[in-house]
Amino acid sequence: MQLKTLQEIIKKKENKSEFAIVTNLATGNSEIFEKGKSLSKDFEKFTDQINTFYQSKKNGIIEGTDIFVEIYIRPIKVIIVGAVHIAQYLVNFASSLNFEISVIDPRGYFATEQRFPNMKIINKWPDEAFKEIETDSNTALIALTHDPKIDDPALQHAIKKKFYYIGALGSKKTHENRCERLKKAGFSDKEIKQIHGPIGIKLGGRAAPEIALSIIAQLVSETYKK
Amino acid sequence: MKNSFDEKILEEANDWIKTNQKVVLATVIQTWGSSPRQTGSRMIVNEKGDFSGSVSGGCVESAVVRECVAIIKEKKLFKKIEFKVSNESAWEVGLACGGEIAVYLEQIN
Repeated sequence: MQLKTLQEIIKKKENKSEFAIVTNLATGNSEIFEKGKSLSKDFEKFTDQINTFYQSKKNGIIEGTDIFVEIYIRPIKVIIVGAVHIAQYLVNFASSLNFEISVIDPRGYFATEQRFPNMKIINKWPDEAFKEIETDSNTALIALTHDPKIDDPALQHAIKKKFYYIGALGSKKTHENRCERLKKAGFSDKEIKQIHGPIGIKLGGRAAPEIALSIIAQLVSETYKK
Repeated sequence: MKNSFDEKILEEANDWIKTNQKVVLATVIQTWGSSPRQTGSRMIVNEKGDFSGSVSGGCVESAVVRECVAIIKEKKLFKKIEFKVSNESAWEVGLACGGEIAVYLEQIN
């Protein structure tokens, strides 16, 4: 692989682009494939098959050829509401996973760059913050403030936008109250049931890093169920 | 949904190159049976045999390192190697799990 190609790949990853690397195992040539862009002569005739791999998001060798295709997909957006202690551990645990994390918290003393270095922090109320983030059914929400003023608008947004994972921190009692409020706000039982509350898989621990681990485990598990 | 881990191996390769190291990229291109790591898994090796990342669960890494150092010495640009099920008499290299993998080595140039 040429250094130029390697650096281009790194740049595309930083920009959260979707692309593939195609390698001719017989000649050693490799280049970047992007949807709609044409390939060089070395790969041109395999465009249709490369497209098939690209659509199915699978890595592999195109049958009967020497062409290896490796797909890079856009990371999943994960929105954390509440720049609290657990969120700091969550960000650490998630750093080696393919997630793009944004942290929302209107409370300026929580959402600081010092507490969350190199992270997208939005120091606004959820309704305002969501205007800055494009969200859809490939987005996940982790609500950590257990303050209805902050969590509820975010949860409502997530239900409406059909996020694939919605989790909310709080005890069983807190969650019951939350469900009641959402019901009063007009959400159906089916919609409310999508919320993982209390959040996380049962690990047993109650310390911040342990809760963060249980949330990440649930998020990854739900991501693969999709 | 596929949500591959991002082990940042390519980024590390770029860092190694910046410090004037020669780097070979080893990528799992094909697997058969119960191989430990998926197609697309990567490791990098420099001319001294230092390595990062993995192409198996530790089964064939030593052989991959040797091959990578060799292609740097021989000034080759790429090579494909395959590893099959290990048998007990040849226990040094092979996949104890019963899988088979093909690994593609390419020098960053």
